Parts: sequence; structure tokens; C-alpha cells
Amino acid sequence: MSSQSEIVLTKVPVPLVAGFQWSVGELMEKFIKALADRKIWGVKCPECGYVYVPPRWRCGKCYAKLGEENLTELSGKGILLSYATAYVELDGAGSFKDLSEPKPIGAIKLEGADSTLFMPLGEVKPEELKEGMKVEVVWREEPKGELADIKYFKPAKR
Amino acid sequence: MRNVAIIGCGQTKHSARRRDVNLAEMVGDAVWNALEDAQVTPQEVDAFTVGNMQGFGGVAQPEQWLGDWIGAAGKPVLRVATGGSTGGCVAQAAFYAVASGLYDIAVATAWEKHSDSKEPGATTGLSHVALGNTINMINCGLSFKHLLSMTLVGAAAGVACYQAMYYMYRSGSRVEHLDMVAAKDRRNAAKNKYAHLQWPGCTPEDIAKTEWVAYPFRYGHICPASDGASAMVLACEDIARKRCKKPVWIKGLAAYSDEENQIMSEGAGGIGILDASQQIGATMSAIKAYRMAGIRDPQKEIDVAEIYQPFPNQELIFAERLGLFDEGTAWRALEKGETDINGRMPCDPSGGVNATNAIGSSALQRILECALQIMGKAEEHQVPKEVHNAVATGWGGATNYIAVTVLGDSPY
Ligand SMILES: [Zn+2]
Repeated sequence: MSSQSEIVLTKVPVPLVAGFQWSVGELMEKFIKALADRKIWGVKCPECGYVYVPPRWRCGKCYAKLGEENLTELSGKGILLSYATAYVELDGAGSFKDLSEPKPIGAIKLEGADSTLFMPLGEVKPEELKEGMKVEVVWREEPKGELADIKYFKPAKR
Repeated sequence: MRNVAIIGCGQTKHSARRRDVNLAEMVGDAVWNALEDAQVTPQEVDAFTVGNMQGFGGVAQPEQWLGDWIGAAGKPVLRVATGGSTGGCVAQAAFYAVASGLYDIAVATAWEKHSDSKEPGATTGLSHVALGNTINMINCGLSFKHLLSMTLVGAAAGVACYQAMYYMYRSGSRVEHLDMVAAKDRRNAAKNKYAHLQWPGCTPEDIAKTEWVAYPFRYGHICPASDGASAMVLACEDIARKRCKKPVWIKGLAAYSDEENQIMSEGAGGIGILDASQQIGATMSAIKAYRMAGIRDPQKEIDVAEIYQPFPNQELIFAERLGLFDEGTAWRALEKGETDINGRMPCDPSGGVNATNAIGSSALQRILECALQIMGKAEEHQVPKEVHNAVATGWGGATNYIAVTVLGDSPY
């Protein structure tokens, strides 16, 4: 082990802070604001029929222009395509810390949608998760029109 | 090597905050406008070149997000990032793609979305770039305070202060000439519907009334930080002649990285010289590009120039480096109105970077504006004379990178 006095280079602090405020665009803004009414908007391509959630205004499949008139409401129910479970999280100081309980995250295809959403899963133990299982959205108590309004997805009641 | 022509141009409206679109949507708009102008479908495009100023907007791999917004899904995409000259290099990369015979139709697109940075203007982006460029010096034990005491302070703006001072000293020009350039560019921008800072009837006296920022610059001298994107469709000769009434040929090009740049200059342990107004890379790029284009006397053969000039002294310096005026005389031509939109050698009839600076896009826009002038499609800011040849520049990197492109109405 080298002692402190043997370290030649000293730390040079850099007085820079980088902050960002990305604009999301008009359709995505509508999507976010509609969450306040517990609504999930997708957009359906009038040319090829592909349904995107969240919505976008150019079809990535056939390049047709999409607009507000192509918005379509989705039910908030879907199918779990795949999942992962986190046991640690970042501690904000460059390392990891253990989670008090495991956090499952799922790739979810909503009913009527073609694209996939990645969302936390709740009210379920990791060992109960299964590809293809039905899930449904859980809203936060007082939605405010922000992404955090979707609390998590839970297994759907039969 | 094959002849290559620009067959379509597209851009977005530029403003301080395009909060109505996200980055992918904004770039998509420019690309779709270019495809529409060229009457080319996305399916016909063989390859894409893309780029913005590295680190700006805080999106590290923008091409990944953009791909299926610009029609590039499943197609070759080459990303280029050379700081402020990015757009010029993006266009040149598309030229190579087609000239080499590898692809028949290529789309070049470049952009900047300054408003995605949280601090006013481009501070966040500049912090990124400054850090990347200066980290080698920090590694050598130089403190940040020491770096700031050198010409790096204020990034491009700091360099431009010295550049303007050196130029005014050796040419005999004065701050009043900076006022004249800026006023002309604001007036020109008022005729360009896509431009950001539009000021119809702006006079040098108006500019001289604005507050000082850093001597010799006033607020009125300095470019804005704009959100916006531009795009061009490039095609090989067969397709260009079949598909476009008036293709614009890329006749010559070169891009030099200049060792005299500030960061590796004498003050920072490099071998470069300190005079930022020399811009040897611009001279070398111009000589190379003119030779390739068969231009012997640019003063006679070039009809219009679109010069990268976020600071007004740069229009004068680069005009001389491009051989459009004799050494140290561009300001005299400016006084006589020769660089006006209806002058003998119009410089930046679009208003240039001084009026609109979506950094990554700015150097591509210079080429695009030259193309519009040759096609006769510049609308209100079309110069009132026949345009056969035009020259465009880009300035960037860490103030070291120069891209010069010569365009014409015939490939020969
Ligand atoms: Zn579609």
C-alpha cells in the first residue's frame, strides 16, 4: 500500500455544472398532461396501422406523418413481455447500495399497442413473474400530469 | 471520382426556443423538407451523414434517437462532430459517400438545440466541450484558473475577442467596421424567413448603441444561440441531371485542422502562434478547394460567399483568407458596400451565423445557402445577379477546424 505522501498528482476540481431541460414535443406533452385524467394516449399510424405509446408524429415504420387526429386511448391493461429484478441501486456517491426489497421492472405491451413500455412492477414477488402474464396500471393517488403518475404495473385480476 | 450535386435543401425556422419539438422531431422536419424539395422518397436514400456540436443539448448518441425520424432506419449512418464546423464536415462526408461511388443518394443533416441546455445560451454545452478540450492540460497539472487566464476564457467568444483585436490592428480597421458587418447581417437576416435575429433597416449606429459584452464586442455584434436544423440531398450526376432542374455541383472542398489554434498555441505549451486572426487552416483549405474546383481568381470567379461569422470580424478575416479581397482590405470593401446583398461580392446574404447560430447546423447552412443562391431559390435574399460559383466556410473544432466548400452551376 502506498502512503498518501507518495501520491504525485493532486485532485483538480472542475467548477462546471451541466444541467439540461429537454423539450419533449407537442404529442408527448399531450401524453404527459393526459396522465392527470388517468388516460394513456397512443398514436395509430393511418398508413401501416402501427400503434405507438407514447405517441410520436412520424411513423418510424413507414414514415407517414402522424398528428393529433391519430391519437388513440389505450386501456392501461397489457401483457408482460419480459422482466428484470434489481437488488441494488446507485447510492448517488459513485457506488451501489442494497435495496430493502427487490425491485422488478417489466417490458409491457399495452392492449392495442405495438410498441413496448418499460415500467416498474408492484404488488408482486419476483418469483411470481412470468412472461405473458396480464398486468394493469396502478395510478398514484392524485395524478398531476407528469410521468410519475404511473406508479407501477401490477398483475391483473382475473 | 464521380461528380456530386445538391438536388434538394431543407431547413427549419430558427429561434431561441423550439420547445414545440423535441430534437428528433426538429431534425426530422429539416430532412423531410429537403426530401420534399428534392422529390426523393426516404426509401430512395442510400446513406445518411449527421451531426451536431458534441455535447451540446446533452444527447450523447443523437443518431440512435434520430434514425427512424429521418428515414435512416436500417441504412448506413455516419456521424461527424467537429464542433462549429460540424455541418460543413457532415456535408463533405455526404459528398465523399457519393463521389466514391459507394452510394447514389445521400442525405446530410445537422442541427443544434441550445434550449435543451438548462443555463441561458450555450453554457452547458460549452462546459462539456471546454472540459473535453482542456482535460489534457488539467492532467498536466494546470489548474482551471490558469486555463481561464489564457485565451480559452469565454470559449469561441474569448478567442474571437483576440482575433478581432489582432485583425483590427494589422488591417487598420476599427470597431465601427464590426458595427457595419453586424448591421448588414441583421438586415440581410430580415429577408430570410428561416433566420433568427431579424432587424429590418438595422444601421451601424443601432449596433453601436448596444451594451459592451467583452471589448471589442457589443451585444449587437454577437450571434444568438439558436434552435434549428438543416438538411441537403446529394446525388450522383446521372440522378442529379434526371431529377433536378438546376442541380448545384460541389466542385471543390477541403477541411484542415489548424495547429495554430488557441489550445495548442504558445501560451499552452504548443508550437502554434498566438494570433487567432491568421487562420492558416482557412487559407490552406481555400487553396485546396479552389484548385479542385478549377477556380484561379476567386475575386473574379466567385459570385457570392456564405462565411461562418458568429463574430463580425470573422466575415472580414475569412473573406480575405478565401481570396475574395486582398489582405487587410475586406473592411474597405465593406465600407463601399461591396459585401452588401446587391454588392460586387455579397457576403452572407442570408444573414449568416451572425444572425442565426444553431451551431452544428451553421456550417451546413452556409453550403445550403450557396446552393439556394445558385438554384435561384433564395427568395427575398436572392442576390440580384447571376450566380455561377459560390464559396462556403465553417469554423469550429476548438477554434482550429476549417471546412471550405466551393459550389457551382456546372460540375466543370
Ligand atoms: Zn406507419
